[in-house]
Amino acid sequence: MIDSLVSLGQGFAIALTPMNLLFIFVGVCLGQLIGALPGLGPSAGMALLLPITFGIPPATAIMMLAGIMYGGMYGGTLTSVLVNVPGEAASVMTAVDGHRLAKQGRAGAALSVSAIGSFLAGVGAVIALVFVTPPLAEFALSFSSPEYFLLATLGITATASIGSGSPIKAILMAVFGLMIALVGTDPILGSARLTFGSTELLDGIDFLPVAIGIFGIAEVLASLEQSYDSEPIKTRLKDMWLSGKDWAECRIAILRGGVLGFLIGLMPGAGPTVAAILAYVTEKRFSRHPERFGNGALDGVAAAESANNSAAHGALIPMLALGIPGSASTAVLLAALVLQGIRPGPTLLVEQADLVWGLIASMFIGNVILLVLNLPLAPLFAALLRIPYEYLAPGILVISLVGAYATTLSLFSVGLTLFFGMVGYLMMKADLPRAPVVLAVVLASLMESSLRQSLMLSEGSLSIFVQRPLSAILLLLVIASLLLPLMSMFTRHRARRRSRNEQQISIATK
Amino acid sequence: MHTTGSISSRCNRRLMMMGAAVTTAALMLGVQPGFAQGKAPTGPIEITSGTSPGGTPDVLMRRAAKILNDEKIITNPLVVQNRTGGSWMVAANWVLNKKGDANTVLTVAQPILTTPITTGQPTLYDKLTPISMFIQGDLLIAVQPNSPAKDFKGFIDLAKQRERGIKVAGAQAGSTDHMVTGLIEKASGAKLNYVPFDGGGAAATAFLGGNVDMIVLPPSEALPLIKSNKAKVLAVLSEKRRTEPEFKDIPTAKEQGYDILWGQSWGLAGPPDMDPALVKFWDDAIQKLVATDAWKAMVKEMFLRSEVVPASQAKAHFVELHNQHLAVLKDLGLAK
Repeated sequence: MIDSLVSLGQGFAIALTPMNLLFIFVGVCLGQLIGALPGLGPSAGMALLLPITFGIPPATAIMMLAGIMYGGMYGGTLTSVLVNVPGEAASVMTAVDGHRLAKQGRAGAALSVSAIGSFLAGVGAVIALVFVTPPLAEFALSFSSPEYFLLATLGITATASIGSGSPIKAILMAVFGLMIALVGTDPILGSARLTFGSTELLDGIDFLPVAIGIFGIAEVLASLEQSYDSEPIKTRLKDMWLSGKDWAECRIAILRGGVLGFLIGLMPGAGPTVAAILAYVTEKRFSRHPERFGNGALDGVAAAESANNSAAHGALIPMLALGIPGSASTAVLLAALVLQGIRPGPTLLVEQADLVWGLIASMFIGNVILLVLNLPLAPLFAALLRIPYEYLAPGILVISLVGAYATTLSLFSVGLTLFFGMVGYLMMKADLPRAPVVLAVVLASLMESSLRQSLMLSEGSLSIFVQRPLSAILLLLVIASLLLPLMSMFTRHRARRRSRNEQQISIATK
Repeated sequence: MHTTGSISSRCNRRLMMMGAAVTTAALMLGVQPGFAQGKAPTGPIEITSGTSPGGTPDVLMRRAAKILNDEKIITNPLVVQNRTGGSWMVAANWVLNKKGDANTVLTVAQPILTTPITTGQPTLYDKLTPISMFIQGDLLIAVQPNSPAKDFKGFIDLAKQRERGIKVAGAQAGSTDHMVTGLIEKASGAKLNYVPFDGGGAAATAFLGGNVDMIVLPPSEALPLIKSNKAKVLAVLSEKRRTEPEFKDIPTAKEQGYDILWGQSWGLAGPPDMDPALVKFWDDAIQKLVATDAWKAMVKEMFLRSEVVPASQAKAHFVELHNQHLAVLKDLGLAK
């Protein structure tokens, strides 16, 4: 404990040198920007900037790259809320509720609660990082393929409860998403699947063209259909800030989201996106007004945004303690270490103490910078929505398509995005929920490969899912998440029948 | 836009570096020189890599590019460009379509040979212009520290007790560790259970979590695990033992009675119809590169080897490598 504090003090001494401060600032600003641009996620952005870290000292380079990583978690909120296009994968839940809030004129509140939630969860996660890294790293290792499969399944079954519509429609849409994700290269055998000989499809259909199309483009199409004479979203200045009531509502959501996100971030293989999805569905379970989820729940946004930031930090634990990547972004951080000639591994904490503690200290500083950047800017960005929609729509289309192009630098992705825009539009017309499709596409690859790995590990026996204590618990959660909507449907049905019977009786007695 | 600069205008180099980072557009070629005379191309050169930054081939080429530029062996700005996707096919196709281009070379790594074999696409190695293979890496067989196997033979005995009882942490079907698994099975007659996780990092995670029994590692990745007693190394798959103090006590599989030789190698190839003068230019540059102290230090630090297969022998070497990989993949039933 004391040792950790002394080391942390040393870390601050390293992180607070002017040069390092400058690079932390540059990192978080870039992260904010990269996160806000759809198509370029934090890990892609970090990979892009990796070569320029060649000339600078390792600690400084890592601090900057890590800044991009968590800065991206703050930035992704922006596009999700304002234009309904997730800036990066981990903000997919925010695109659902955040944008609804924006339409209700509450973009400012959504953005500020995200910033505050991200900040609190981020700082909390760094504190955990300071004190409990080694034991937590060991805990993270007890997760393997069976647990990942069940986690992903939990995400998918829980989608049945997302949105206010019918759970059956939601599950069907999730299956549609899984089908989209089947296209590409088989993760285990490496053979081509449903690609029809197209080399572009060999890498599969990425989540971003689907999300940008189904959320962003479809939204624009549907809005343009109404003959426009519309008024811009009315926002009073008062609504731009977080009210005391909002804060009371979101406090617990931030705490729950932050803790859950951190635990999921720990597991190498899950990452911030899964964390945000699961935090959102958990929050819905605990919320006092679950019906608001999907239609603009501030606490849903708070939970998801807190979760993705604390997961981004949590993923550093297996990386620092064991040298294994906990997410796509930490994989790039590890690559940066390798490029700098530092060998990551279980000995990193001892051999490169200055670097590790400098990094941890830099994350306190970076999160403070991001909060200071984001809070005053939230109402400013929210004010963008005062622009009449017919001027805004072309801009949204441009951002969406550039984002789609940026994912692979090929026009094929742009075509794919437009296609899914059409699909999304039809789904809106048919009153089908769109979020489950996107969630299933995000979770499918983890779900599929971990299921097949589990069965290979167990040589074909399903008992692997109950023999391991952690997976047994997760299995129970999955079953519960399937039964709960069924039960509520059943009770609702009975209640309706009873009331009808009573009516009939009362008629009969008249 | 970026225009052609004279070859040795040093003052322009910085500017060109900056330009190169933004645009790697192919530049105009000057007058063709005489035969077999090394001649530098004009303008920045792209070294295409099929991995994302930080992958071993990418790290190696970035180091090589830095040393080549720092030591002024090549004065053209060298830009390592990551064109990921399709198990290196995106990178390879990029270079294949640059017929005769002077400013693009391709990093040669195992997938250039194996992906066409496993996916049934036309081979690539014979369409590219071979330049040189100049980096080699050894592979180690590691097991859990509490494994009852004391040496490689003990491990094979263990594997023979129950078919597919030993689980191998794999990166991906058809990758190096899969081929090593196939070679072990062939040499020993044991049957192993190869489980492909998603990439090397995930495989290492599964191994550290105790979910699998065996993993194939390069020495640089094995060292931290050995030091922290998280892995026990049973054999090195090279002809001779490594000489570093950290690895000199690890016996080869061959001296333990199993003829398993496998390793990794990396190099460069040019686009189809590359000018022989350019091949000579690269050949010379690589010879100078491997003689520098900076390169030697890098090779030592990453526990690699650097034996140059020069351009004159590269073609035959490519054919040999292809045939070796084809044979192993056929045995594994992965060749299409």
